[in-house]
Amino acid sequence: MKEIKKTILANPFWTKLVLMLSIIGPGLVTANLDNDAGGIATYSLAGAQTGYRFIWILFPVTVALILFQEMSARMGIVSGKGLADLIREKFGLKVTFYSLFFLLFADLGNTMAEFAGIASSGEIFGVSRFISVPICAILVWLIVLKSDYKGVERIFIVGCSVFLTYIVSGFLVNPDWNEISTAIANPNFHNITAKDFPIMVGLMGTSITPWMQFYLQAAVVEKGIPVKHLWHSKIDVIVGCTLTLIIAVFIMICCAATINKAGINISTASDAAVALQPLAGKYAGLLFGFGLFNASFFAAAILPLAASYYICEGMGWESGVDKNFKEAPHFFSIFTLMIVVGAAITLIPNINLFSILVYSQIIDGLLIPIVILFIIKLCNDPDIMGEYTNSPMQNFISYTLVAMMIFLNIPMLYFTFLGN
Amino acid sequence: MEIFKDLPDITLHFSATVGIPVYSEDGQKLGGLVDFFIDYEEIYPSVLALQYKRSGVLFYVHWSEVLRFSYKKIIVKREAYSRRSRTFPKTLNTKTVTSILANQFAGPTVEYPPLGQIVLDKQIVDTHGKKVVRVNDIQFIRAGKDLRVTHAEVGLRSFVRRLSLERPIDLMIKAIKPGSKYLTNDTTINWKYVHAIPNRNVQKSVRLNLTNEDLRDLHPADIADILEDLDSHGREMIFSNLDPKLAAETLSEVDEELQASLLENENPEKAAEIIENMDTDDAADLLNELDEDKADAIISNIDDLEIQEEIQELLEHDEDTAGGLMTSEIFEVTADTSKAEVLKQIKQRYEEVASFYDIYVINEHKTLIGTLSLQELLIHNEDVQVKEMMNESDIKCLFVDTHWKEVAQFMNKYNMVTCPIVSRNYELLGMISVDDILDRLLS
Repeated sequence: MKEIKKTILANPFWTKLVLMLSIIGPGLVTANLDNDAGGIATYSLAGAQTGYRFIWILFPVTVALILFQEMSARMGIVSGKGLADLIREKFGLKVTFYSLFFLLFADLGNTMAEFAGIASSGEIFGVSRFISVPICAILVWLIVLKSDYKGVERIFIVGCSVFLTYIVSGFLVNPDWNEISTAIANPNFHNITAKDFPIMVGLMGTSITPWMQFYLQAAVVEKGIPVKHLWHSKIDVIVGCTLTLIIAVFIMICCAATINKAGINISTASDAAVALQPLAGKYAGLLFGFGLFNASFFAAAILPLAASYYICEGMGWESGVDKNFKEAPHFFSIFTLMIVVGAAITLIPNINLFSILVYSQIIDGLLIPIVILFIIKLCNDPDIMGEYTNSPMQNFISYTLVAMMIFLNIPMLYFTFLGN
Repeated sequence: MEIFKDLPDITLHFSATVGIPVYSEDGQKLGGLVDFFIDYEEIYPSVLALQYKRSGVLFYVHWSEVLRFSYKKIIVKREAYSRRSRTFPKTLNTKTVTSILANQFAGPTVEYPPLGQIVLDKQIVDTHGKKVVRVNDIQFIRAGKDLRVTHAEVGLRSFVRRLSLERPIDLMIKAIKPGSKYLTNDTTINWKYVHAIPNRNVQKSVRLNLTNEDLRDLHPADIADILEDLDSHGREMIFSNLDPKLAAETLSEVDEELQASLLENENPEKAAEIIENMDTDDAADLLNELDEDKADAIISNIDDLEIQEEIQELLEHDEDTAGGLMTSEIFEVTADTSKAEVLKQIKQRYEEVASFYDIYVINEHKTLIGTLSLQELLIHNEDVQVKEMMNESDIKCLFVDTHWKEVAQFMNKYNMVTCPIVSRNYELLGMISVDDILDRLLS
């Protein structure tokens, strides 16, 4: 046995692969959370309303996502500190407190959205929300509290693989691949009208969220990846983001090839799953619904987790899933409270979740450029990053992207208010 | 003139001083107060200079040239010498420097970083409470003509103060619950227990008086907890300042995953010294976690050849077998030794040997030929030889490549506290004690 182990390890390819697999995780999990309940809703609606026309937008968005997440991961590895930790050390308590306060508020709204996603996907399968939501809330709570970081990560990676159901659905609907590749490779910019703007902005806004930056960095720190494996962590981020892109593309294809062609109007992701059944066969619809459930479930676990991380880091409290309640009381209290409140509000009959979602989206939209600016500033500080500061090229692209985000956020806010 | 004439309070907080305008004696505005330079070598450091900012540029002015200090304004002498700098050059000849202290500094002056930059909002080690905390505010006291740092504040009250909400919250609490502890108490750490951890760049250019004397008195288990709570940079800084013995004890207490990374950051000479101070089986386990090159470099730096050889032998065995678990620090005697001689040897070797419950008897080829329990030894007369007391018919031992689970079953079956481990031709290599197995069973 030992001999075999030795020969395997002597082979540089296998050594690298084993090492690679041990580093992969934070980036993959974080990127896949992009396709949460809100993300799937946005992609479905975009596909259903505009067909293949805007699939191309996802490609530049993914590049931006890789860029920003790589910075967070690098910062976590080099400094060994969470993003909120660094923001507090560099920008002081006041700035940190108010940013985190609004972020927490937004994330509570987002958590509700995830539980609403669990509720509606359960209903596709005929399960009442009064059963699915409480059970999932307890499950989510147990998974995070009763295992250590490695266990949590493993469960999440398994969850990520369920996203592949969307690819299966995408093939089941039998789309016109020629039309798709033309729409991606050679987008037609002339037929974009003012009506398409909310969808374009939505596609960009749903992908890059503040809490994901915090979660990624916290996960990297808790995993304890050493600086010499920086490169592997970059691959982790790139693989994760690319996978996310592929899945998002397939969700759009799914809805574009069926619902859009049939000219049906939908307004939610579960509408899409229901509409798919008569058009593309029962399995495509059910797989779609199952994907939605999976996405909502994992985001419902990680959103409160991310929030607990950043609040505790910023306030100087102990944090980490590897700790127990006695060692990190604030951490686990915040986590529990977010789940309980998030799940409970979803169950209030006749509640208007929509306005809560709109407000949390607005806060997210306002905060993301600020958080990214914090990240860029921190990534350029040699006190924190040593020799691993941003290159001028990275800075140039990042600042350009932030400028674009601010520029695009203005119409997004305008449209969300208008839509309200 | 009294410097603190317009300052009503005896204590003041760092957060309340930031932004106080700095004026020259003739009324010219020089800038706003940003930070303090303090004498890091003192237990309750006095302020040496003030740092102020004018249109984005940082300057400092000596405390001796400050005429007036109040919340409204700071007035400095007309001809005050102020210089543009981010740090403060502390000349050491103003103070009698003992020869021990002098060794810590490279030259006659050191560049001091400002106080807020290395303490405020940063993690520090509270060596009294034995934990890592984040500092919300810093407390000063007026002492004659000086301003001295006394406490680091980490409680809720200082937190609220930093948010500039102290007054409204105070009013609110006074209205609801006038006797609340919040109004009078706040968690503070006496400055003598504050162990700051300057960031990378500060550490490179400045040396602060941050020897680990305050940490030295802590229990290794407490140091291990502190290390686990710090970020990688703080960890390395504290760990590399521990002496090899304390470092070895601390290393045995920290998480397995952290062990390797801490040792990896040390140079091979220091790492070897630490390894020498650890139990050989723990040391071998730890070296197993490192890259092969790194581990080899450390092993070759071990001065004690006996330990070096033992560790090398242990490393050759798989972690999951008896060989990987055993310690080679055993007590072996030859058959012709008398009881008196055995007892004498026990006295001599009790520090290096892990256990004396069982004494192993070997011949000239190091082959295990018998075992002798301590109780058996004790009931015999002084002049009896080992060969007359030992058990040689039914020697319970295991081969070095036995899987640890089998070792556990075997030791459980025969109720053994320790079990000798031999090679295929019965050469005695080491022993496993029941606590090594327990560790494995419980993890």
